[in-house]
Amino acid sequence: MILERLFFILFAVVAIAAAGGVVCFKNPVHSAFSLIVCLLQVAAIFVLLRSPFLAVVQIFIYVGAVMVLFLFVVLVLDIKKASLETFPGLKRWPVYVILPVMAIEFLIVIFGKSFAHMQMAEAGAETTVEVIGLALFTHYLLPFEIISVLLLAAMVGAIIMAKKRWN
Amino acid sequence: MIPLTWFIGLGLILFMIGVAGVLLRKNIIIVLMSIELMLNSVNINLVAFSYYLDDIRGQIFAIFTITVAAAEVAVALGILIALVRNRRVLNSDDMDSLKG
Amino acid sequence: MLLTYVPVLFMTGFITVVAIGVLFVSSLVRPKNPYAEKLTSWECGIESKGESNTGHYKVHFFVIAILFILFDVETLFLFPWAVILGDPTIATLAFIEMFVFIGILSVGLVYAWGKGALDWL
Repeated sequence: MILERLFFILFAVVAIAAAGGVVCFKNPVHSAFSLIVCLLQVAAIFVLLRSPFLAVVQIFIYVGAVMVLFLFVVLVLDIKKASLETFPGLKRWPVYVILPVMAIEFLIVIFGKSFAHMQMAEAGAETTVEVIGLALFTHYLLPFEIISVLLLAAMVGAIIMAKKRWN
Repeated sequence: MIPLTWFIGLGLILFMIGVAGVLLRKNIIIVLMSIELMLNSVNINLVAFSYYLDDIRGQIFAIFTITVAAAEVAVALGILIALVRNRRVLNSDDMDSLKG
Repeated sequence: MLLTYVPVLFMTGFITVVAIGVLFVSSLVRPKNPYAEKLTSWECGIESKGESNTGHYKVHFFVIAILFILFDVETLFLFPWAVILGDPTIATLAFIEMFVFIGILSVGLVYAWGKGALDWL
């Protein structure tokens, strides 16, 4: 279906441009908004992959909560000093050499013959929330409970770090 | 239908941009955002394989990745706030008190 | 199947174009004459003092945001839970497990409350 491919290319190009913006913008606020755009494109790509639940989760966890946290931190901290940083730092020139070489190498491997014979099974219909729920509450019950302990630890740690002084 | 390789390629490019952000930028907030970008590119791969192999486990893994990323961001930004309050640095190159 | 999402895409694109277009057109028309007095938060009234004078927010907002993010993650697990509750074979187990989950997270809320992270000074 050609339309699907066109939409994928649209989302991918916007996502890559926005990701480039995250790295290149000087102001952290601009970077944060660029990252929001990138995450929304990734959510759209999840819809193309027939996982609407993941798309919704992506939007309301990442865009709704994580990015809000980032913007709050930018508001709390003094960003004036940080924006003085010189970019691109030519001092770290190996990065400009090694990363493109690695990326091209991986792309050759991915698009080359080694993956081409791995024709995947015919993809099914959309994954419903019910299927995810059944898997989550039968096979993955223990990870689900452990996640709550992890979140508790994260909450306690973050509050201890952020509080000014304990009396 | 979209070939699987396209999704892997997109994930790869986003991951490389994230690595570049971690290595090139000094502002810790932007380094953390680049880490989020890398986690997202991994999620694309997980969900793409989950779809093409018709296996639900990739999506479950992606859900747990998102959850762990949220917890990680909360702690990392808490540490960042404590660091800025005590040392007045927001630059990863200035955090060299363990360097000796 | 996927075509059911096209209206969402159109709405998002339309809103984006309208928002950017409105800002762009008004940037062409509006007068632009900023000076120091105009750039202050309040053109009339009392100047802000103390912590808020620097334009930075209190760290307290960040603590509230952390509590928000963690309970947001909890709602992520509430959706699939609510959907499968109709299934009688695992409904009881899932019900109990979710309350264990919420209970463990509530310990964190009680901790934050006890440590005074929710007090607004």
